[in-house]
Amino acid sequence: MTGWLDVPRGWLEAFGEIARFGSRVAGLVYSGRVLKFFGESLRQAGILILGSAVIIWAFVFILGLQCGVIGAYFNRSIGAPSLAGLFSAYCDLREGLPYAFGYILSAKVGTGIVAELGAMRISDEIDALEVMGIEPVTFLAATRLLGAWIAIPFLYLVGVAVAYLASYIAVVDQIGDVSSGGYLLIFWTYQDFVDVVFSLAKGMVMTTIIVLVGCYYGYTASGGPVGVGTATAKSMVVNIIMVHIVGMLGTLVFYGANPRAPIGG
Amino acid sequence: MAAQAVARVLLPARSFFEQTGEMMILTARTLVSAVRPPYPYGEELVGQFLFVLKLSWFPMTISTFALCLGAPGLQAAGILSLFGNLDRLGGFFVVTAVRFIGPIVTAAVVAGVAGTAITADLGARKIREELDALQVLGVDPIKNLVVPRFLALIVITGLLDIFAVVFGMSAGIAAELLYRQPLGGFFATLFANALITDLAASVAMCSMFGAIIAVVCCYKGMTASGGPAGVGRAVNQAVVIAFMGVFAFLYLFTTVLLASNPELQSIR
Repeated sequence: MTGWLDVPRGWLEAFGEIARFGSRVAGLVYSGRVLKFFGESLRQAGILILGSAVIIWAFVFILGLQCGVIGAYFNRSIGAPSLAGLFSAYCDLREGLPYAFGYILSAKVGTGIVAELGAMRISDEIDALEVMGIEPVTFLAATRLLGAWIAIPFLYLVGVAVAYLASYIAVVDQIGDVSSGGYLLIFWTYQDFVDVVFSLAKGMVMTTIIVLVGCYYGYTASGGPVGVGTATAKSMVVNIIMVHIVGMLGTLVFYGANPRAPIGG
Repeated sequence: MAAQAVARVLLPARSFFEQTGEMMILTARTLVSAVRPPYPYGEELVGQFLFVLKLSWFPMTISTFALCLGAPGLQAAGILSLFGNLDRLGGFFVVTAVRFIGPIVTAAVVAGVAGTAITADLGARKIREELDALQVLGVDPIKNLVVPRFLALIVITGLLDIFAVVFGMSAGIAAELLYRQPLGGFFATLFANALITDLAASVAMCSMFGAIIAVVCCYKGMTASGGPAGVGRAVNQAVVIAFMGVFAFLYLFTTVLLASNPELQSIR
């Protein structure tokens, strides 16, 4: 019986450790001590853009297509095919995009950080850094967090555009119940700039958590080559749960009391 | 210079096609050795089934509940409350929770939790040369390691989808209660719109997700190389490829399903 509760208990224990490590890293970034390694931060941002941008956008594109198809058929079923833009606007910007972004970011960037830092820890490179007088948490974790904060907002906003394009293709070109102008009228009516800011806020909170979780599991990896693989797998569990919880809390806080829809008075 | 640029573009494309081809070969060999006697993988199959269930049940319940409470629950309830027809949320949940969110959360959890564990496990065995040792002993790694994981993931992903749908529906109930609505209308539209086709398609789709995840993760684990960084990198690549493959398949399957089943295209 205890075996079945191992996962939640281990997760709760890890949660406290991650919170302590994460607040330490975030403190290093906020206090500006990371600026000593600003070049390294820019390099991490560049690695993020070159290595992950295409995969993130491809994933978001597929999500946009899926939202478009589901929305077009749903609106056909309620007898209002011209309102497909409503579903697309909500599914793309408000809900789908943060989740899709969180999934692919935890898969590509989160596990990537664990694999990289874990390999450094196993081959004693992190201890070597400490011996050389370079604070390893600042140099390895805080620079990655700052790099993500520099690069991710732009990746996210381009991702919004990619998802919009995909939904347009799915609704107007693939299903074809509604004309281009009719789709775009409804689509732009049901969103405004504040929605973009809310969506970006969700995405950035997820990004911060994913990078911190990745740094924690990489930094504390142990047990040889096998340990790195296990730590990578563990980080994915925490990331998946945290992405969903952040998404739900974001919706609850931003839209729980006010649907923000141009309906009624 | 030009040759370098061409190589930079073509090399990833080439390795992409090579790896896709090798995964296809692995799929075919897995299928063949799954049906061809003898069947030595029974014990490992049960073990893997319980292993995946043990790892996945907790992230699964929390994730589905959270996603369904946020996205189709509160967001759609907000719009519907403006129209004053919150009882229609039940019908909307059939469209979203069963067709879309149940399968993607199941796939994300199984790929992220169980798939990564499988890749880490097989990758560790590859790095420690246990797979080669098995082959020397005359034990076929595909029959004894890949086939049980493949079959276990196919079954468990389909079954977990049903739990995902159940927890998604309970999130819908929570959303209705947050808006202080009686639940009669929710259940009425839910059962009026729920069709066997929807649920069967959802479970079938998830079983296919399980097959995709199993093949990708086993392939990446069995081809891990390069010392300590190798296993971590294999897990990283496996989960990215599994997510991309699952979402691409989801889009194709949904398109075909909705276009070929007109009875799904009306709300009752």
